[in-house]
Amino acid sequence: MKIEAIIYNIPYISISMLIPVIFSLLIAFTKEAYTKHLALISVSANFLLSLYMAILFDTSNSQSLYFYESYTIIDELNISLTLGLDGLSMLMFLLTTLVSLVAVVWSLRDKQINLRLKEYYIAFLLTESFLIGVFASWDLIAFYVFYELTLVPMFFVIGIWGYKLRLYSAYKFFIYIFVSSLFLLAGIVSTASQHYKKFGEFSFNYFDLLNNEYSLPFEIFLFFLFFIAFAVKTPIVPFHTWLPDAHGEAPTAGSVVLAAILLKMGTYALLRFNIGLLPEASKFLFPYLAILGIISIAYASWMTIVQKNIKRFVAYSSVSHMGFVVASMFFLNKIGFKASVIEMFAHGLTSASLFMIAGFVYNRLHTFNMDNLKGSVKFMPLFAIIVAITGFASMGLPGGSSFWGKFLTLMSAREHGMELAIGVLVGGFFSAVYVLYMLKTLFLDVKEESVLIHFKDIRGAKLLAFIGVIIPIFMVGFLPFIFFGFYERFLDFFTSNILNR
Amino acid sequence: MGIERLVGAVEIGKLSSVLPELIIFTLAFILFALDLFLKPSQKKAILPPLTAGGYIIALLSFPLVETGINFGGTYVVDKLSLIIKVFAILIALTVLAFSRIYFSERKSFYGEYYYIITFTLLGAMILASSYNLIVVYVALELVSVGFYILTALLRGSFISKEGAFKYLIFGGISIALASYGAVFMYIYSGSVDLREILTHKGEDLHYLILGLVFFMIGFAAKVGAVPFHFWLPDAYEGAPTPVTAFMASVGKMAFFIPVIRVMPYISETFHLPWVLTVGAIAGITMLYGNVVALVQKNIKRLLSYSSVAHSGYFLAGIASASLIGVKAVVYFLIVYAIISAGAFLTVAYLEKNKDWSNRIQEFSGLRFNFPYLAFGFMVLLLAMLGVPPTVGFVGKALVFTSLSFSSLWVVILIMIIATGISTGYYLRLIVLMYMKDREKTISVENKSIYEVISLILLSASAVLLGVLPSIVWRFISESGDILFKGLK
Repeated sequence: MKIEAIIYNIPYISISMLIPVIFSLLIAFTKEAYTKHLALISVSANFLLSLYMAILFDTSNSQSLYFYESYTIIDELNISLTLGLDGLSMLMFLLTTLVSLVAVVWSLRDKQINLRLKEYYIAFLLTESFLIGVFASWDLIAFYVFYELTLVPMFFVIGIWGYKLRLYSAYKFFIYIFVSSLFLLAGIVSTASQHYKKFGEFSFNYFDLLNNEYSLPFEIFLFFLFFIAFAVKTPIVPFHTWLPDAHGEAPTAGSVVLAAILLKMGTYALLRFNIGLLPEASKFLFPYLAILGIISIAYASWMTIVQKNIKRFVAYSSVSHMGFVVASMFFLNKIGFKASVIEMFAHGLTSASLFMIAGFVYNRLHTFNMDNLKGSVKFMPLFAIIVAITGFASMGLPGGSSFWGKFLTLMSAREHGMELAIGVLVGGFFSAVYVLYMLKTLFLDVKEESVLIHFKDIRGAKLLAFIGVIIPIFMVGFLPFIFFGFYERFLDFFTSNILNR
Repeated sequence: MGIERLVGAVEIGKLSSVLPELIIFTLAFILFALDLFLKPSQKKAILPPLTAGGYIIALLSFPLVETGINFGGTYVVDKLSLIIKVFAILIALTVLAFSRIYFSERKSFYGEYYYIITFTLLGAMILASSYNLIVVYVALELVSVGFYILTALLRGSFISKEGAFKYLIFGGISIALASYGAVFMYIYSGSVDLREILTHKGEDLHYLILGLVFFMIGFAAKVGAVPFHFWLPDAYEGAPTPVTAFMASVGKMAFFIPVIRVMPYISETFHLPWVLTVGAIAGITMLYGNVVALVQKNIKRLLSYSSVAHSGYFLAGIASASLIGVKAVVYFLIVYAIISAGAFLTVAYLEKNKDWSNRIQEFSGLRFNFPYLAFGFMVLLLAMLGVPPTVGFVGKALVFTSLSFSSLWVVILIMIIATGISTGYYLRLIVLMYMKDREKTISVENKSIYEVISLILLSASAVLLGVLPSIVWRFISESGDILFKGLK
């Protein structure tokens, strides 16, 4: 089967990448009074554009490359900026524009963000642009460039507008991901050199590299070069230690973008590159990696339960969810991939919502400590509903977004054997425990002083931000076929490609 | 060799291929003469614009240059030498923009400065285009002697003298070693042309090996490879900062070119020993440079050690002994010249403030004092770190490609570790500038538009050549091909 590139007259992806860049320039050179408006216009425009592109996207043909564009960078080495969206990228692209919109809407009324507004919004807009680049690039060097570039604005977001330990966390975030991605760079150039040895020319194009053949030991070596980078980014236990710090100390909108999209870069790349480019090594290593994923689920769930800081609590819960994504992916069957992708999307929504809950609570109580948060939602009925919906959706209750991911993960594990399925089930059990624990703390525990405090309920921009993620949460829960439709054909193609090579 | 032959070697028609060198050479002598006869106040007014004008004329003469081999094979004008010369003159121009105010603020205006830096530039240009041992030796001396004097230019300063003294002794030893090696190579082959020496099929191979080892040690000292690097941080710290910028950019570029030129030939005969020794030196150099840079308190020393570490990266590309390795190193050298010149010139700009003492801590909150300068400096630091889409990333990615092409996995691993270590100090500067409050309000009087323009150009090209590397890549690619084609 050959991948077909569908070219439109209008370079949609470039436009969606350039909108944030142009608006950042506008923000940089206009008065600070206009900053928020400009940022809001930029992300809204991009979201609408992405919806329009989703309509143009023909779901019955989702293995083809839509909106294909290609610009040469270095001719001799076949490095080019090749952009295109297939079913998987399309979904991630939608998630990116949606979450960027939510993050900016949230920031409009965030009390934490009162200094250096221009730089703050520029950082978010640039992150959006780079993330689109990550999900739409089909050239490995271009992918790497965008993958690394997302680091820089996030480094500033954590370091400047973060909470108490912000500098420590910013350093840790940058160094972990930068150093691990150097291994990725080594892996990328090694695949290109391998292409030279077989075909007589360098190439960094994904489709050229698909033709590469390696000896199994070398393929496993390459697999690990790629895997180190993505395992740190995802993160998979034991490479997760940067995450609670970075997510815990970042400002709310920063955590939202970090958890909802930046982590998806790791899992997206694992699926696209590790499994797609190196299928033999994946088949060889799959039991270990699937078990690593299951360990991630269980370990991170335990770690979540003992956290006292609600942001670190949410951060660890992300690690556990990513465990589901990685485990289901490395079951290497179609249901597993299906589960993995829908879980990526679902986690993007629930984690965004959870971090906004943490941010909102901090706004009212000025603390992240779980002990001080007891019963804090009592006087905020609307907010309480949001917390309940998010919590149950994240737990995997039917009707919520995470249900399909967890359910399908179980199914795909069952294809390999009952033992793995039980492993997933136990992990899933723990992940339900921590959500229940959080809900209990916020709803049922009683703290005497809290009776005296009259909080204002959620309203305005922040409510809108929550609605922006809760509608998709229910959409994934009740209408999953819309989202499955985006990548169903792609998965048929992808799975047959891997299993029959 | 009779005098007729010597004269006959200079065909007038071919002088056009050394036109830029001739212009620079004439300019140096005019400056020398003017320095003798002008009054100090006239010198200040005339010498800087005259020098800059001469450089620009030299730049404009490049389209007239014919490529080819000249002067009886002693002087090679190929794509590699041309691109190096163009960038050397461009960077010299940016350095020149800083010189006038820098020296007049220190009450030490010297007319000598202009002709010495011009002669040094001439030496670098000659060094970039010869295979002939004698020519290489003369050019090496021309560059080095110029650097010794320039380093010691701040007459009252102790560290300036100390740095120059160390540089003089180390540089003298290294040149002595290189010429000693050249003697052995001559004994082996009876020729002073490196191409002939290395393709010569002689009996006494040990003479060649001995000669090459000495010759390479000489160059290792010049480029600051560990363990021959001891002079480098002291000289770079002691020298007036614009001079440091010149040494770290044009000097480094020029000293590496002869090594790049011999690499295809050596790797043919001594492939394994070459890969092993150069790879080992590269590994040690980048680890040592980065680790020591981590603990520096002075920004100039920090950047010097980062320069040592970069020598390690270049050597790693050279160790790969492959065509892609040559192209990678040439690209990386040119772009490193740009970013290191930019970084040192930023320091030179800040040094105009009276309270500035080059401590790292003084960078705290620089963003609030100089928003644009801090942004430019951040771009340059990210380029040194190798964050895309800056030039440093493209350079490192190309070196990685060449290493993986030659399957030097150990060197790749060391380079990853070394780059990881370097994250520590580059990031600290960025954190200080952007995330800490300022210690004090710093301002700079006596700004000049040329300084601003040259800083903008350097920072912008650090990004531009990374996003669109094909601007220079075409020339580099051709020059690399030619180096290897000479072999066949």
